[in-house]
Amino acid sequence: MAADAKRARRAMFTTMIVRALSRRRSRMLVALLAVTVGATMLTGLSAVVLGAPSQMGRELRSYGANLVVSGNISTSSLPSLDAAVASDDVVGRAPYRYAELKLNEQAVTAAGTDMESVQSVRPYWQVSGSYPTSGQVLLGRDLAATFGLKTGETISLAKVGADEAAAMTVAGILDTGGSEDSFVVLPLEDLDKLLGEEGKLDVVEYSIATSNLDAAAAKLAQAVPGASADPVKRLAKSENTVLNTLSSLLGIVAVVVLTLMLITVATTMLAVVTERRSEIGLKKAIGASHRELLREFLGEGVLLGIAGGVVGGILGLGFSQLVAMQVFARPIDVVWGLLPASILISAAVTVVASLWPVGRVLATDPAIVLREE
Amino acid sequence: MVFRALTRQVGRRALIALTVALGVSLSTAILSVMWNIGDKVNEELKAYGANIVVRPQSSAILSSLYEDADTGSATLAEEDLGKIKTIFWAFNILDFAPFLSLDASVADSTASVEGTWFNKTLDLPTGEQAQAGMKNLRSWWDVSGDWLSDCCDDKVMASSSYAAAHGLTVGQMVTVGGPSTSKTLKLAGIYDSGDSSASDLLVTLKTAQELAGSPGAVSRIEVSALTTPDNDLARRAAKDPKLLSAADWETWYCTAYVSSIAYQLEEVIPESVARPVRQIAESEGVVLEKTQSLMLVIALLSLIGAAMGIANLITASVMERAAEIGLMKAIGGTSRQVVFTILAENLVIGAIGGLAGYFAGLGLAQVIGEAVFGTSISITPIVAPIMAGLVLVVIAVGSLPAIRLLLKLKPAEVLHGR
Repeated sequence: MAADAKRARRAMFTTMIVRALSRRRSRMLVALLAVTVGATMLTGLSAVVLGAPSQMGRELRSYGANLVVSGNISTSSLPSLDAAVASDDVVGRAPYRYAELKLNEQAVTAAGTDMESVQSVRPYWQVSGSYPTSGQVLLGRDLAATFGLKTGETISLAKVGADEAAAMTVAGILDTGGSEDSFVVLPLEDLDKLLGEEGKLDVVEYSIATSNLDAAAAKLAQAVPGASADPVKRLAKSENTVLNTLSSLLGIVAVVVLTLMLITVATTMLAVVTERRSEIGLKKAIGASHRELLREFLGEGVLLGIAGGVVGGILGLGFSQLVAMQVFARPIDVVWGLLPASILISAAVTVVASLWPVGRVLATDPAIVLREE
Repeated sequence: MVFRALTRQVGRRALIALTVALGVSLSTAILSVMWNIGDKVNEELKAYGANIVVRPQSSAILSSLYEDADTGSATLAEEDLGKIKTIFWAFNILDFAPFLSLDASVADSTASVEGTWFNKTLDLPTGEQAQAGMKNLRSWWDVSGDWLSDCCDDKVMASSSYAAAHGLTVGQMVTVGGPSTSKTLKLAGIYDSGDSSASDLLVTLKTAQELAGSPGAVSRIEVSALTTPDNDLARRAAKDPKLLSAADWETWYCTAYVSSIAYQLEEVIPESVARPVRQIAESEGVVLEKTQSLMLVIALLSLIGAAMGIANLITASVMERAAEIGLMKAIGGTSRQVVFTILAENLVIGAIGGLAGYFAGLGLAQVIGEAVFGTSISITPIVAPIMAGLVLVVIAVGSLPAIRLLLKLKPAEVLHGR
């Protein structure tokens, strides 16, 4: 008997909630919309705030190399160096060799490097003309002005003390505002050929997007015996300052937006439930207990919260990817933990916001509630 | 009727006003911060150092090309430095520092010495005062001991690598022999710059000038300026400003591009060449652009969120008044009258909430500015009309469909409760 009654009551409970949701469709839609928008904002904004600093860290790599490997290194040490750092973090890596050369019989500093990788490490280089291929060079802006050379002209380059000179074409003029403005930059292989000595390197520059630069430096230094790796303090320190500011800005903005969003969701729920005063009064008048009524609204709230939380959570995660693609042209890591968080928070807010007005109605005499309006 | 409706049922009206106020304050705060974010982040990026370097015209090429060339032959004049703060974009010049480099003999070996200002107060031709010096241009330096100050010319700083190689400790006396005279200075501090480009010893500008025997000479000026990211016009101008049309030239000159600021520096400092440091200037542009678009997206997101929240609540509150609308219709109100009454009421509530929210939002923006950047956020006038428009549209969008829906129903049914 008791079990039957329990089952019947449970069936009634389900029917009531389902009916309540499906009948008053437009009003429930309003509530569901509010919860979904809230959950979308919650998940989307949290995902953006969590992902943005590391994305921004990558953008800050446009300042150039933040780790410099020097010492006893050669082209053959490059593979073991590359193996020492996580390749996902490496934005760019470029080897350099410096030498004194004679340009049209006058001493100049030459830098040999890999033309493709130097563009990823030093994206700020401005080249009018094109990057050189074999047999071509880049002339620093000041150097070009001193020698009166233009793109397309031919120069002779030679090792200091050697008689033989190689004829090379000026592929472009390099403008950096730094010391490179007075350098000749040419492909590493060409410099090796001129010097008649292959494989030697002076410096390998790494541009690494990582939060722990010192650890990366230690790994690189261990990878090749006789090599030392040093973080470029100027960039590393400034990067921390900038990223910290950005994270705290996003954090504060997110907290403000989310708090206000939750309040807005709560007020909408409040309005939707308060509207049902007479219904609550009536149910109470025909004998429903406080517990049953509270349970009914609790069930409704949980259902709404879960539905809104799931839909909003998925929309929010998708939305954060959209933002990342728009702003950084890269997807951000999906934090799946945000989905359960979104469901939990949505359910909590809807339940609290709907139980509070129900409680207030229950405290009033049903006769008064029903006579109103 | 509107007045009565407002004064009765205060609780529900207050709820709407509160939500409008919350939404508006949030959007006002975010929009204000967004409008300021460029300048604020730009100031943060100044941590990376100077973005313009000014050199004497002839030595710009020679000194770096031929190490042993006589660098003393071409210098800038220290007396021209104050003029930096008088250019068109003077307010965008955050900091600058003059440098004079020379080689000196210290304990039988050669050391590179640089003289500079550390944190000097300048009296400008305009009668104002300005701070300038290299301390803020080297924010990444670790200094053990003390920075020098511009008042006292009897001290010296050493780089950590030089100090280690020569066994120098803070407090020790160092004799520096320059081309002109030699001086015995007290070692006040040791700096770790983290790269090899810093000089071995650092002294005040006056000391360096006396050591070199060239009073009033400066070999390089580093300038840190707030700039606008380069665009096409700026790139064309950077090649040769004279090739621009008159109108383009005007636009370029009156925009804070790094190239136009460099150009204006060349105008005030005779015989000088001002070059943007691409590593700093270009990257600044990239970072600024990203931060601005990120903030823009967040601002849009919160605007949409706030708008939907408010519209939702208003729809809910209109639905709730089904009986009232039915009654109005039953006693002979035309649809237009009903719509007008409810809309007017909601607009009045929205205006009150919106006004309160606007001012709360301005306050909130200041709180964010102080907490994140440590500076205040300037009030952007355009935010107010945007907010007014937003509230108007949101209330109309929130109320109208619901009222329409209720008007379609028969008054008898509505009043009956279904």
